[in-house]
Amino acid sequence: MGRKALRKSTKRVDQKKRRAPSGIRPGLKIRTKLLLLVVSLLAIPWMGYESVREMERFLLEGQEQALELTTQGISSLLGNRSDLFDPGVGVPEVIGRTSRPLPTEIEQSLSIDAVASGWVSAIGELTHFTGFGQFECGAGYQPDSLAVRHGVAIDPEQFFAYFEIDDDTVIFRDPDLVSLNNSDQLRMTVQASSGAISRYLLTTTEPGRVSIYLMRDNWREAISGDNVREVAGVLDLTERGYVIKVRIPRTLLGVGARLKFEIVDVDDVGSRTVEQVISTEPDPIDLGIGRVRLATPELTKLIQPLYLSEANITIWDQGYRLRAQVGSIFPPAREGFDLKREKFAWFFLNVETGITRFYEWILRSPARGFKDMPVESTREDYRLLGQVLTEGEPKTERRRYGDAKLIVTAAPIWAEGSIDGAVLIKQSGNKLLSLQYRTLQRFTLLFLGVFLFLAVAILVFSTRLTYRVGRLQRETEQAATPEGRLLKDQIRPGARSSDELGSLTRSISGLLHNLGQYTRYLEKLPDTLAHELHNPLNVVNSSLENLQYHHRELADDKHLQRARNGIGRLRSIITSLTEAASLKEALGHEQEERFDLAALIDGCVEGYQAVNPKHRIVSTRVAGPMIIDGVPDRLAQMLDKLMDNAVQFGADQGLIVVSLRRNPDGIELTVANDGPTLPVEIVDRLFDPMVSRARDARKTHLGLGLYIVRLVAEFHNGTVVARNRAGNHGVEVVVTLPAARAPTR
Amino acid sequence: MATVIAVVEDDPDQRDNYVDVLTAHGYEVRAYADKPSAEAGFTRELPDLALLDIMLGEDMDGGFDLCMELRKLSPTLPVIFLTARNSDADRISSQRMTAWDYITKPVSLEFLVARVHALLRISEQLQQRSPESSAFSVGDLELNENSMMVQWQGQPVSLTLTEFWIIESLTRNPGHVKSYQTLSDVTRQGLVERNTINGYIRRIRNKFRELDSTFDRIQTVHGTGYKWERDRE
Repeated sequence: MGRKALRKSTKRVDQKKRRAPSGIRPGLKIRTKLLLLVVSLLAIPWMGYESVREMERFLLEGQEQALELTTQGISSLLGNRSDLFDPGVGVPEVIGRTSRPLPTEIEQSLSIDAVASGWVSAIGELTHFTGFGQFECGAGYQPDSLAVRHGVAIDPEQFFAYFEIDDDTVIFRDPDLVSLNNSDQLRMTVQASSGAISRYLLTTTEPGRVSIYLMRDNWREAISGDNVREVAGVLDLTERGYVIKVRIPRTLLGVGARLKFEIVDVDDVGSRTVEQVISTEPDPIDLGIGRVRLATPELTKLIQPLYLSEANITIWDQGYRLRAQVGSIFPPAREGFDLKREKFAWFFLNVETGITRFYEWILRSPARGFKDMPVESTREDYRLLGQVLTEGEPKTERRRYGDAKLIVTAAPIWAEGSIDGAVLIKQSGNKLLSLQYRTLQRFTLLFLGVFLFLAVAILVFSTRLTYRVGRLQRETEQAATPEGRLLKDQIRPGARSSDELGSLTRSISGLLHNLGQYTRYLEKLPDTLAHELHNPLNVVNSSLENLQYHHRELADDKHLQRARNGIGRLRSIITSLTEAASLKEALGHEQEERFDLAALIDGCVEGYQAVNPKHRIVSTRVAGPMIIDGVPDRLAQMLDKLMDNAVQFGADQGLIVVSLRRNPDGIELTVANDGPTLPVEIVDRLFDPMVSRARDARKTHLGLGLYIVRLVAEFHNGTVVARNRAGNHGVEVVVTLPAARAPTR
Repeated sequence: MATVIAVVEDDPDQRDNYVDVLTAHGYEVRAYADKPSAEAGFTRELPDLALLDIMLGEDMDGGFDLCMELRKLSPTLPVIFLTARNSDADRISSQRMTAWDYITKPVSLEFLVARVHALLRISEQLQQRSPESSAFSVGDLELNENSMMVQWQGQPVSLTLTEFWIIESLTRNPGHVKSYQTLSDVTRQGLVERNTINGYIRRIRNKFRELDSTFDRIQTVHGTGYKWERDRE
C-alpha cells in the first residue's frame, strides 16, 4: 500500500469516527427545553391581561348601558314638567367652578348683626379661597397676608353671603379720598338672567355697617354717591383679620342671577395700592352670556336621590343653562380637586413600596387617571347637548383624557312634543380602571407566585432528570470500554425508580446482563469447544496409536503420517483456544515480582533468533536495566505472541526489531517487522479475540495472539497499540508498561 | 499374578483404546464406564494402578470422588488422572487427592504406557521399603529416582510424576540450562507448549516454597528454558 493510499485510509477512519456526532441534530438540552417551556407560561399573564382588558371593555359597556338607562330614566322622570324648566324659577348663584355647591337653603332668616359663628353654623362648610396656582394672585402672594373662607345661604326672601378674611393689616376707607379703590373692600358683581351686569362695592371707614355703592366698571367711582339701601353688610374685626356678612334681597338679584365676589386687599396705609385680589371666579372672561346657570333647587331635589358615585348628573334647559347638578366625577376623597392634596397623593404614591412601583410600571395606575381627569369639559358637553337638544335622540360617548376615561350620556327631556331640556350624565370610567388595576395586581401577584413555583419546580425536576439521565449515560458508558468490552453487566443506581427512566435503566441493565452472559458464553466458548474437542481427538489419536502398535509395518505410512500431522494441528488449535481463557483465569492468581525486563527481552530475543532462521531478529535498547513489577513468565508469553505475530506477517528474510526504551509513561516495548501494513477494517479490533488478518491455510490463525498480548499488557496496567511503521514498510506493535515506582532494592 | 490396572472412562472409544494398548502390554485391565460400577469393582478387587477420567458423564468430579475412595482403600495406590480439562484448579484438586500423575488429553498411548510402567515400578519400590541407592543429592535437594522421592532440606516434597521428571532433568546437570524442548521431551506428553512448561515450573516452585519460602534454585532463562542453580558455596 502506497503512502497516498494510507493517507486515504486514515482519512476514512477519521470520517468514520466523526460520523456519530455529526448525525445528531443540533438541539437543546432537556433542562433548557423545560425552562423554555416555563417561559412559555408567560403567555398566561398576557392572556390574563387581555382578558382583564376584555372585561374592562365589557364592564364599560355595561356601565354605559346603565348610564343610558339612568339618563333615560331621569329624562322620563322630568318629562312633561315644564314648570321645572320655567325661566322664572331659580336661585342666584355664586359663579365659580362647576363643582361649587349651591347656596345652602335655610329656614330661618339670618340677622345681619348676629355673631359670625351663628352664620357659619347656618351656612355650613365654608369654601376656602387661597391664592395658590389660580388666577387670583401674583407671585408675591403670602397666605398669611390674605386668605378667604366663604359661604352663601338662601332663604325664601334673602340671599346671604359670608366672608372670613385673614388679613395681617386691615386698611379702612379714607373718607378724604375720592376714588374708592384704595382700601380693603368686598366687590360684588351681579349678572341678572337678562345679562345686565351691576357692580356693588362694600367698603367702610370703621367696623360695623358698611357702605354699599353701585360702581362703574373701573371700580374707582360710584355711579351715584347714594348708598344702596337694599343690600346690607356688616364688617367685624377678628384676631386674624375681619368678617363680612352681607344680606341681599332675592328680588334685587332676580331669577337665575349670577354672582361674583372679590376680596381686595390693601396693606400699605401710605400708598394704598391694591396688593392682592381673591375672587370666587378668577377667570375674568368667564363672566359672559351663554354660560348662565339657572339653578333650580326643586330639580336638584328631584335628582338628588339619583346620586351615582363618581358621576355628575346635570340637567340643562333649552337655553343651554344648567338647571341642576348632582355629584362629581371625582371620587369623594378627591372632591374639590385640591391641588395641594393631589400633590400629597403623588408624594404618597412615590413612597409606596417597590411592589407598587412595579405595578405602576407594568400597569396604568388609576391615580394617573384621576390626574388626567379634566375639571372642565364644558365645550364637549355643549357639543353633545347641542346634538341632543336639536336631534332629540339620546347620545352616548366615551371620552379619553390621557389615562382618564369618561362616559358621557345625554338624553332629551320631552314635554308634550317639544324638548324642554336634556339630562347629561358624566361618569368616570376610572372606577373600573381601579377595579381592573386591583384585579391585575392580584393576578400579577398570583401569577408571579405560580410562575416562580413552577420555574423552581421545573428547574428542580429537570435538574434531577438531567442528573438521572446523565448518571444513566455515565453508567452505560462505564459498562463497556470504548472497544466494546463489557466491564459490568448491570446498572444499579436509579434502577429501582418506578418511572420510565427507571424502566429504561432496568432495560439497559437487563440488556447489559444478557450481553454479559452472552459475552461470558463467547469467552468460554473456546474453552468449552477445546474441552469438547479433546475427547474425540483423543479417540482419534489413541486409535491411530493402537493401529500403529498393532501394525508396525504402517509406521512410515504416509497417510498415517498425514493423519498425525492433522492431529498435531488440531492440538495446536485447541491449545491456542484454551491459552487465552486459561491465561485470563491464571492472571488472577499471579504474583508480581520486581525484575529486569531488559534482561528478559535479551534472553528471549536470543532464543527467537535460534528458532526463526528465516528472519533477522535484532534487539535495540538503551543500556542498563529496566526494572518493572510484573510476572516474567507472562511477559515472556506476551513477547512470544508478539514475535509470532511479527514472524507470521513479516516479510521473509525481513528484519524484526525488538526495541525497549523509556518514555514519560513508563517503558515502551516495540516489536516492528517489515512487510504489509495493517488492513484498515480490523485496525480497531486487532487486539480483540478471534480477529486475525492472516489467510494462510497451512497455519492456524485464531486471532488470539494479540488478544493475549492485550490481556498481559492490561494485567500490568499497560497499553498496547498497533500501527503502520513510518514510511509504510511494515507494522509495529507498541506495548507501554509502567516502570516500577519505588526504588529498586 | 498379572498387574491389574483399572480404567475408568465414560467414553467407550477412548476406554477401549486404553484397554487395548494396556492389554497389549501385558496388563490385566478392568474397565468401568461410571462411578458406581467402578466403586463396586474397587471393593471387589483392588487394582495395582488406576487411570481415572475426572469427568464421568454428568458427574463433573466423579474421578476425584473415586480417587478418594481408592485412598481409603490404599494410601499408596498410584492414580493417574486423565482429563480433557487443563485448569490449575483441577491440578490443585488432584494434588490434594495425592494423585500421582495428571495427564491432559489427547494422551499419547506410548507415553501413557511409559508412565504406567514408571509408576508401577515406583510403587513397587515403595512397598519393598528398601530403596535402591539410586538416590543422589544436589545441595539441599535429595532425589531418589526409583521411589520418586524428593526431599528439600530433609523434608519430603510431594511431586507428581511429570514434576519429578522435570526436577530430575534440571538437577541432572546443575547450572546447565535445560531448553523448553528438552523439558518438553522430559514430560513425556508429546507436543508441549512453553506455557505448559512454565506452568509445571511454577507449580514446582510453589511446592518448594511451601517448605522454604526463600527457595530460588530454579532459575528462568528467558526465551530459552530453565536451570537449577548450583549451590553458591
